[in-house]
Amino acid sequence: MKPSTGNSGALGKIAHFFFSTDHKVVAIQYVVSALIMLFVGFLFMLLMRWQLAYPFQSLPLIGGWFPEDHPTMPGGVITANFYNQLGAMHGTIMIFLAVVPLAVGGFGTYLVPLMLGATGLAFPRLSKLGYWCYLSGTLILLGSFFLPGGAANSGWTAYPPLSVIENAGQTTWLIGVAFVYFSSLVLSINILTTIVQLRCKGLGFMRLPFFVWSQLVTSVLLLLAFPPLVAAAVMQLLDRVLGSSFFLPSGLVVSGEALDVSGGGSALLWQHLFWFLAHPEVYVLLLPAFGVVAEVIAANTRKPLFGYKGMVYSSIFLGIMSMLVWAHHMFLTGMGITLSEFFQITTIIISLPAVIVATSLVVSLWGGSIRFSVPMLYALAFLPMFGIGGLTGLPLAMSATNIMLHDTYYVIGHFHYVVAPGILFALFAGIYHWYPKVTGRKMNDRLGRWHFWPTLICMNGIFSHQILQGFAGVSRRLYDGGESYAHGMEAFGLNSGATWAAFGLLLVQAFFIVNFFYSLKWGEKVDRNPWKATSLEWAAPSPPLPEVNFETPPAAYRDAMTYSEPGAEKDYSPQWEPSS
Amino acid sequence: MSFYPFSYFPTLASEHGATIDQLTVAIFSFITIVFIGWLVFFAYTLFRFRSGKSPKAQARNPRGRWVYGLAAGILVAELFIHYGLGAGVGASQLSAISPTADTLQVRVVAQQFAWNIHYPGADGIFGRTAPEFYNDQSNPVGIDPDDELGKDDIVTFKQLYLPVNKPVRIELTSKDVIHSFFLPEFRIKQDVIPGMEIPVTFVPTMTTEAFRKLKGSETRDFEIACAQLCGVTHYSMKGTVRVLEKGAFNAWLIEKAPTESDDDDDFWADDDF
Amino acid sequence: MMFFLRAMALAAVLISGSGVFAGSITGKVTYEGKVPTFKPIDTSGDPHCAAHAGDNPPVIEVLVLGEGQSMANIVVKVIKGLPEGKTWPAPTEAAVMTQKGCQYSPHVTALQLGQKLKVLNPDGILHNVNCQPKLNKAVNKARPKNMKELVFDFDKAEAPFRFKCDVHPWMMAYCTVIAHPFFDVTEKDGIFTIDGLEPGEYVIEAWQERLGKQTATVTVTADKAGEANFTFTRPSRKK
Repeated sequence: MKPSTGNSGALGKIAHFFFSTDHKVVAIQYVVSALIMLFVGFLFMLLMRWQLAYPFQSLPLIGGWFPEDHPTMPGGVITANFYNQLGAMHGTIMIFLAVVPLAVGGFGTYLVPLMLGATGLAFPRLSKLGYWCYLSGTLILLGSFFLPGGAANSGWTAYPPLSVIENAGQTTWLIGVAFVYFSSLVLSINILTTIVQLRCKGLGFMRLPFFVWSQLVTSVLLLLAFPPLVAAAVMQLLDRVLGSSFFLPSGLVVSGEALDVSGGGSALLWQHLFWFLAHPEVYVLLLPAFGVVAEVIAANTRKPLFGYKGMVYSSIFLGIMSMLVWAHHMFLTGMGITLSEFFQITTIIISLPAVIVATSLVVSLWGGSIRFSVPMLYALAFLPMFGIGGLTGLPLAMSATNIMLHDTYYVIGHFHYVVAPGILFALFAGIYHWYPKVTGRKMNDRLGRWHFWPTLICMNGIFSHQILQGFAGVSRRLYDGGESYAHGMEAFGLNSGATWAAFGLLLVQAFFIVNFFYSLKWGEKVDRNPWKATSLEWAAPSPPLPEVNFETPPAAYRDAMTYSEPGAEKDYSPQWEPSS
Repeated sequence: MSFYPFSYFPTLASEHGATIDQLTVAIFSFITIVFIGWLVFFAYTLFRFRSGKSPKAQARNPRGRWVYGLAAGILVAELFIHYGLGAGVGASQLSAISPTADTLQVRVVAQQFAWNIHYPGADGIFGRTAPEFYNDQSNPVGIDPDDELGKDDIVTFKQLYLPVNKPVRIELTSKDVIHSFFLPEFRIKQDVIPGMEIPVTFVPTMTTEAFRKLKGSETRDFEIACAQLCGVTHYSMKGTVRVLEKGAFNAWLIEKAPTESDDDDDFWADDDF
Repeated sequence: MMFFLRAMALAAVLISGSGVFAGSITGKVTYEGKVPTFKPIDTSGDPHCAAHAGDNPPVIEVLVLGEGQSMANIVVKVIKGLPEGKTWPAPTEAAVMTQKGCQYSPHVTALQLGQKLKVLNPDGILHNVNCQPKLNKAVNKARPKNMKELVFDFDKAEAPFRFKCDVHPWMMAYCTVIAHPFFDVTEKDGIFTIDGLEPGEYVIEAWQERLGKQTATVTVTADKAGEANFTFTRPSRKK
């Protein structure tokens, strides 16, 4: 089969890039869009961080650009309304537009077919449709900032009644998010089908790389959890636009005026539907990270993963349990003792598989020959960072200690430890690890190290301060950083520590951005298997052939991670090489 | 600025709060030990098996049923902390405490962006309330003007007065959106949800006077904070709690009791626009 | 000052009785019935309010009376009789409303369409300005402490609507936007004057926030000012 190269000429290439249904092209589009959104979400966070540390002061450097009558930043000071918009959109962007598209849309779409020895996804056009939906949703959500009244400002959780009575941006948010949800749904169907149907000869389920397993469980979670949320989004849209009252109880009086709605709805219904998605969503983010880290660790310790089967079963169990813990976000909503007891127990139980997977990854290091390459540094840093994130979740899982910590900066610190230095580090590890596969060139090692260490320090600088603030009872989502309150004033100064760490984080990302583009052109050229790894994606040329990936369809002859086999001539035994 | 996390706890001023604090310290001690132990193992492993020192990896993984044992052990420890130390003070439990003859009953009606406090007055019974009677100037909690039981009710704005060492049961509701009633010093946080009345019961153990002395500030007060994003001015939805000795509290009740001379004409308060 | 000028104007009209002030409508609004006493507003929940209010703590202003039960805060405007299709330039100077001492002042403001409204916060404490029109665009602006002035622009004529401050729920004011300059808002003396009218027959309307609207037909001639007095009574108590 001859790979199609599209039309000649620059225009043809661009058209090819946009309309190609090759899983690699779609994946690159996902990765690039998601990285851009990651940066946008990060900039939103910086604006908020400034306001939190230096309330009502003009922004540094750029503050002077904004006239006194600027609608959102008069004189460079962020207004409360704009702050709430930034908060809502930071969460929405980071989760729905950056991390999920990067982890599943990017890594999943690119690597799953390669690791299966397949030529592409099961439904190539569907994957393109998914990307277009994601892109449309992204543009709608970003565009909402330019509407009169601005973007959604009721938090990424969009709790009604607030979200129903707030500005028009919320309607746009619901529409945009519905697009993004739909794209995830399409994506998950695609990846699931691919894994079940397109494994190459000899590749049984228990021979799959752990990364593929993580994508499999992730896809099932997306498939089960998203439909209720799409339904909930439609219901909220109806409440906003057509005057229904799914989420509005009777007798609401807003600012002295009775709200003209039929009433009879329940504000809590939304929270149940929302968290029924949004908790599994955490594992949608986490599992691919586990998958990436497992691959990177195996390749850089030169030994098989510890307890592969245990990890696989734990991931499946994790997936199942993640559908049963959603209401631990709702301990303070007046639920009964029995219900809260149930969700505490399920939440405690879910720590079992999480501990097994994380510990297996650590024990995998034992007895290895550890190469501290840049991807490995990120993968290793993931472990303690995720450890902090996971362990700090414990006091939140118990409804007694949850009382004090709920809705404080402690929660922010906790889940950011999971997502930012945790999951994002894993994804950085993945980017450094598979960059040679995608481009045929390695990323610069020195720049990579310069990127890693300050990033690690700054991330901790931000989130450790937030954990401490949480102990002081500083509530989240306070526009003035808690300045209005006397309690927690002891912790107010921590705001500036976190803010400067965040600015530091911005600066050192330059190393990554430069490295990313510099290496495209001038990076060290590599052959198809620079890390001497074993799974099937390394059997393809770097970059893999358009449309078909492999010169000849590969077959699998052994487990995905076979390293340092006794008697073998080299310290890795690729899956695609028959035993001699 | 301190890096000893528990030094940041707000002053403790309620009975059940001690349990919450102890439990927090217990869990944190536990996770700190787990984390440090883990970190030592992690660092040792990285050091011992660095490629320079360990050029050839072992082909076989260590036998490792103990990993599952470890995970199960952590689970058991969590359950132990949960049931052994933390029973009885979860938000649901605080909501489920039934009032006794000794319990002071208070209603709190939240709105964007204020706390309206409603006391039953001398008769100990709340007047009937309904949304159609809400008036931001003269009837913030919507007491039915025709209900005799409501005539002696006391309403205050953002100021919750409580007697010390006496259980108080606060019924929380909201006029508009979801708020969260957060009393940091009393270790109370409870979502306030429109369409629902959620009670919460606790016992204040420190008077405002004692608190001020402790903090060395004449103006310091226990605070009511809103902990759930409720709109544009959410960040300043602050109230105060004054805890008084029993005598002073009763005197305050008498001082605040509505007098006969107050106009009982509801026409001007009617809020139809 | 305004009061003085107005009293002078009325006196002049009444005394001369001739055409010196032709082309105007004037009159007085009074209240008949039992005068209610209002509970004081409890502002102690925000100590800043008490600190800034001084001797003028916020009061309920749903009914404000002067000597002899003359009524303040009545909007009187021409609703019929003006030439069709004619427009009048709007004043360039903005109308001003302040949030002093946690009370909106004045309680009722009338604007000509195209005129801006400035809301000032001389105390520098936290308020928001929640403007709740039905036809114009609703705006809810938080006003951080450092922001002393907010400007509102309305592009449609509209019957009186509310201004609130959600930080201090008792704070309430009314604003109306009128397409022409022929209107007035009474002060405590209850007297209104509408100037600059061509001779002709006009219908004028008086509005009170709780007691509703009344209309009167007035003829203005070249040499005599039209006169109309309004009396508001409260309806009997509904049961």
